[in-house]
Amino acid sequence: MSASPLIEIRDLRIRFHGDDGRVTHAVDSVDLSIANGATLGLVGESGCGKSVTSLAIMGLLPKQTTEISGAIRFDGFDLLKTPDQTLRDLRGNRLAMIFQEPMTSLNPSFTIGDQIIETILRHRGGSRRSARDRATELLRRVHIPSPERRIDEYPHKLSGGMRQRVMIAMALACDPQLLIADEPTTALDVTLQAQILELMRELKAASGAAIILITHDLGVVAEVCDEVAVMYAGEIVERAPVDELFSAPQHPYTVGLLGSIPRLDHRAEQLATIEGMVPNMAQPPAGCRFAARCPFVLDACTRAPPPLVEVSPGHLSRCIRAPLERLVS
Amino acid sequence: MALLEVEGLVKHFVAQRSLFGRPLAHVKAVDGVSFSLEAGKTLALVGESGCGKSTVSRLVLRLIEPDAGTVRFDGRDLLSLDASALRAFRREAQIIFQDPYASLNPRMTVGQILTEPLALHNLVPPARRRERVAEILRLVGLEPRLARRYPHEFSGGQRQRIAIARALAVEPKLIICDEPVSALDVSIRSQILNLLRELQDRLGLAYIFVSHDLAVVKHIADRVAVMNLGGIVEQADADELFADPRHPYSRALLSAIPLPQPHAKRAKVVLQGDIPSALNPPAGCRFHTRCPFVIDRCRTEAPALVADEAGHATACHRVGELPPADAILPVAAGFTPELAKLVAAFSRKTEGAPPTGVGIQSARPTTT
Repeated sequence: MSASPLIEIRDLRIRFHGDDGRVTHAVDSVDLSIANGATLGLVGESGCGKSVTSLAIMGLLPKQTTEISGAIRFDGFDLLKTPDQTLRDLRGNRLAMIFQEPMTSLNPSFTIGDQIIETILRHRGGSRRSARDRATELLRRVHIPSPERRIDEYPHKLSGGMRQRVMIAMALACDPQLLIADEPTTALDVTLQAQILELMRELKAASGAAIILITHDLGVVAEVCDEVAVMYAGEIVERAPVDELFSAPQHPYTVGLLGSIPRLDHRAEQLATIEGMVPNMAQPPAGCRFAARCPFVLDACTRAPPPLVEVSPGHLSRCIRAPLERLVS
Repeated sequence: MALLEVEGLVKHFVAQRSLFGRPLAHVKAVDGVSFSLEAGKTLALVGESGCGKSTVSRLVLRLIEPDAGTVRFDGRDLLSLDASALRAFRREAQIIFQDPYASLNPRMTVGQILTEPLALHNLVPPARRRERVAEILRLVGLEPRLARRYPHEFSGGQRQRIAIARALAVEPKLIICDEPVSALDVSIRSQILNLLRELQDRLGLAYIFVSHDLAVVKHIADRVAVMNLGGIVEQADADELFADPRHPYSRALLSAIPLPQPHAKRAKVVLQGDIPSALNPPAGCRFHTRCPFVIDRCRTEAPALVADEAGHATACHRVGELPPADAILPVAAGFTPELAKLVAAFSRKTEGAPPTGVGIQSARPTTT
């Protein structure tokens, strides 16, 4: 970690208040920091809180029903205490986000050019003509063929891969310092996914922006990220440099995930399974949240919530049995 | 004799009609597809969106009528069956879909869902049906008491188990699995994949496994057919295809899969451009617009699917001249010894674990 991280999340807790008075603990005591130019993978299964965390950074969670505590420090601001007006100046400018489904994030009744130009004019001002030139340039940067012509097309005329490129162009419009990509390739075919991942690597090298990549696909993480945080039931259970996470995971959940994916590079007769289900987050368990499904569980695990501790330099695990190598030697 | 033999299957959908109903444009969804499948084996149909893999699976069941070609199941010509014979055939071939929620009736309990096929085909006398439902539920790793619940009370993985149970109720010989794990989280995905394999070993089922995910296919398939825009471009035994992919499209698909292996050393074939529209497929070889090895001949003349002595078939004019595929294949790396031990310890422990959560039993059958 460099001396001053670009963004620093401290003890983030998010609770949703349902209509029936039920309170869901979506995110609990999440600490994260990301340095300039780094790419962090946020991994986990449906409902683990990875998308909610990113929406909290962007200030996009519904105010009436959400209770947020903690701090998100970004460039001198605490994003959780920043007034809406200032947040609107930051979003799309220095903070940008790409979503999974490009068709629902683009407005079908405006051309893609209009939508990119709107972003540029809102944050940078200047003439419409110069904004249009910049939009064309952005489309070229994300490898859209003949951008001068494409800029006047409506989203429905573009294929899924092209639309995701437009979303990326729009996110890059004001050279953001932090780019959040929420499952950017999940809706795409593998050959298109490979193109988009290639593009992201290229842009990362060129722009120096920090990226938070949210995904459930460990393959994507291995290809793009420098560092990984694994989330389970609203908590970060493991955080490590990418090589270490794949070679020496220190949380049983990560071990289970790695064992359960079918792989091209070696064939397992039987895949590992993680039995049981994610705990009910209206009443999270008192101890370790993975305890009920963990094969290495001890009595102590269910008594008190385990802290996230450093197992080796830069490698954190929320498991009292780490380092796990001890269990099999 | 093969359980299923498909020969020259063709299906064109009308995409646009004139004012008077005359067809103006066709989508050539399936254009001359042939394959065969042995009893107890798994054939995977692989390809990207719109390649026709799902259409093939529906044609095989005659859920839609083909325009040309033959489908023989257990020696019978499916296309000549009348309505009652077709209904009898449906007992022997079943299908499970990607989205288990959309394919289960939300107003029926699991028990009703599983009893329906038993009653429809009159397989089990009414008095014994409850017992049979319990048996089927146990087979897919669910507790019999769950028969009283409704689909919305289950998680995605459990719903997929119910869909599998419904398919098994009629004791079929063939199950078509249309992207059965694509909508599931990774840890649940492995449970369903393990279950499908165990059921195959136990019951001698044949599967047609439709998927876009080559890693999953490698895990489950005996034979693989790679499809592109309505046609099969390569067909081989799974081990052979993954060790020596020959068609440039198969190679591109393989190399596009992100490996869960940071800094994996392999060359990448990143295809440029989009998947062409099936409404207006390119002339000649349908892959030529994206193929890095294209020559003039490919633009005009469609290559035939030609098999070698070992049964590895490829549809490419240049198959003999292409560079070896070694560079794009993932290096067999696998886990470090410690991690392998840890994963093994993880699986060993969870298998014997008592049921947790809402009544999932161990997915492992009692007899193997």
